[in-house]
Amino acid sequence: MNKTSEIVIIGGGVIGTSIAYNLSKKGKKVILVEKGDLAFGASGSCDQEIILQSKSPGVHLQMAMRSAEIYKTLEDELNHPIEYKNTGGMIIIETEEEMKTMEGIVEKQKKFGFNVEILDRNEAAKLQGGLAEHLQGSTYSPQDAHINSMELTIGYANAAKKLGAEVILNTEVTGIKQENRKITGVQTSDGDIDSEIVINCAGAWAPAIAQMAGINIPIQPRRGQIIITEEVPPYVMGDILSARYIAAKYNPDILKNSNDPGIKLGVGLALSQMEKGNIMIGATREFVGYDTSVTREGIKEILKYATRLVPGIRDLNIIRVFAGLRPYTPDGLPVIGFMENVEGFFMAAGHEGDGIALAPVTGEIVSDLIIDGKTFIDDSVFDIKRFN
Amino acid sequence: MKNTQVAIIGAGPAGLAAAIEIASAGGKVTLFDENQKPGGQLFKQIHKFFGSREHKAGTRGFRIAEKLLQDTEELGVEVLLDSPVYNVFDNFTVGYINSNKEQALQAEKIILATGASENALAFPGGTLPGVMGAGAAQTMINVNRVLPGKEIIMIGSGNVGLIVSYQLMQAGADVVALVEAASGIGGYGVHAGKIRRAGVPLYTSHTVKDVVGENCVEEAVIVELDENWQQIEGTEKHIKADTICVSVGLNPLTELARLVGCDFTFIPALGGHVPEHDKNMETTVKGFYVAGDISGVEEASSAMEEGRLAGIACAESLGLYDNQKASELKQEVWTRLDTLRKGPFGQKRKDEKDKLIKLAEGGEQIG
Repeated sequence: MNKTSEIVIIGGGVIGTSIAYNLSKKGKKVILVEKGDLAFGASGSCDQEIILQSKSPGVHLQMAMRSAEIYKTLEDELNHPIEYKNTGGMIIIETEEEMKTMEGIVEKQKKFGFNVEILDRNEAAKLQGGLAEHLQGSTYSPQDAHINSMELTIGYANAAKKLGAEVILNTEVTGIKQENRKITGVQTSDGDIDSEIVINCAGAWAPAIAQMAGINIPIQPRRGQIIITEEVPPYVMGDILSARYIAAKYNPDILKNSNDPGIKLGVGLALSQMEKGNIMIGATREFVGYDTSVTREGIKEILKYATRLVPGIRDLNIIRVFAGLRPYTPDGLPVIGFMENVEGFFMAAGHEGDGIALAPVTGEIVSDLIIDGKTFIDDSVFDIKRFN
Repeated sequence: MKNTQVAIIGAGPAGLAAAIEIASAGGKVTLFDENQKPGGQLFKQIHKFFGSREHKAGTRGFRIAEKLLQDTEELGVEVLLDSPVYNVFDNFTVGYINSNKEQALQAEKIILATGASENALAFPGGTLPGVMGAGAAQTMINVNRVLPGKEIIMIGSGNVGLIVSYQLMQAGADVVALVEAASGIGGYGVHAGKIRRAGVPLYTSHTVKDVVGENCVEEAVIVELDENWQQIEGTEKHIKADTICVSVGLNPLTELARLVGCDFTFIPALGGHVPEHDKNMETTVKGFYVAGDISGVEEASSAMEEGRLAGIACAESLGLYDNQKASELKQEVWTRLDTLRKGPFGQKRKDEKDKLIKLAEGGEQIG
């Protein structure tokens, strides 16, 4: 296989396929290369939440809100069942300290035009059964939603293909070709593809791809373990997170200094119910390299924490567990944009646990930047130089 | 953490037979099942088994289960019921739920005997109450003593479809049609003969096109198929019925084998994707064994033999038998298995099983 394309996208997860679709829609010739199958990385081993409340007020929330708009009509646009449901969501608040933090965040989010409020324990209990008595309350936003991330990836890939994109699976990128610091293509396990633009959407594996172009990026794999229960009648109101999850996300240092094994593993609650009826209970946030195995300690700590906050799920049988690697960056925002030192090398990775929520908007931003050189939000926050 | 020598997941015929072998050799066994009762599908099998006397021929399935349970009890096998296993962690730690609590058991060897589940068939009206798997209908009549309906259409004429049809009639229902997409009956002639003699209308080269009803099944529309399995317009027949039973094959329940990383291969005659295993029933992950339908869909008699084989092999690797004793015992089982896998039905399975074993033992890649 020796091919030529205007743009090569590396990675067949939600981000890569969304970008492939958005670029194809604007008439670009795109080849997407994926070393496994579609959604083989984090996109196929995550929960299904499109939760806006966990995003910090600013560009992050702005992106999520734009994505939420796109999601409303995406199923029709892609002509693929993606199981999108605008369910609303809540962040459960257990301690007074968490309440203070969440009040601050909610206040700022409201000013940003986001529809969110704080509920007391009794109001929260009206929305979700089985909550613990000792909770302080929760936040609530009607704007949260959920989706089947695997169907989303397949939907984006198929829609891109219909617009002329080529999707090459089970093919690994083995090298980035460049001449005089200018991209000329990629080498793969099945021949070369010539191209002047290469987009790195390899998620947790993006650092290795960037390394091939001589670029260091501060993305690290962060493992999330998730539990699946048996199928049950509708039980979870929508997306449920816990305030501690938000803390684990933005303050990994707090976790290191704790002696609580659950906190050390970054355990926070992420609860949602799938279309079939199975409930997903997540998750840990751990730095263990590229190890995707599930640990009993992790599962125990998730269950301990989840049943402490929502004792109502105690009676459910768990039937399966899995783990995936999220692409972590130190400030929780992705790296998006052309790299300065290698002309034509574009980064779009590092969404950590926000990949599903931010995939549609990332596709728009990336296609804007590549075709027009500018986009509708302040993209300087995605600049890799912020880490220097 | 609790510990055991061998953890067996699934207390059906394969799992029970494996447990008995290991316990007889002096090993400590823990048997898991997610159901409240052990025995797997045996308790709903009220018909007599085939084969030779060694294979309990002439004995009814549930009697075989009673004997297996009695043996496990006498040998002191620990049986954990209502205990779904959700994962096996790296060092042979079995994660399971019991009494609503997550628990774990440390094992040295693990036998996966998780069985199979029924294939689904999609057709309009397929979600109406009254459409069910043939296995569900069999459980209702033979275990719960409840008649699922009065006028039944059976889709699929493999052994399950034939036997369940006959048992539904024995239980007092009318089987108003037996529908088979292939041009001939799938199961054993002796079962088909019973159905024919009872006067059940057989529709070969037919499939269900539509099932209609207000709140439950009221009628099915069946249609003839041409040699390319395409529906022939104008051949529709309307048949009044209140129950549609689907028996279109089984597929191995392999989730745990996938989770622990066993290599798989695709063999349609054995039910689809099956874990590769050697002559000891050991998978490509050392210390993990498979037995019964998980290693290729067959029947209870061969499941029990495979269970014995896995049990003997486990006992051997734990040092409970020396090599000579173990190979003698294994040879006896293999001889019986070869007898079971004879005839036009058995031979095909034997050929496919042989391929599977060759693959795990480093033979050439197939398919």
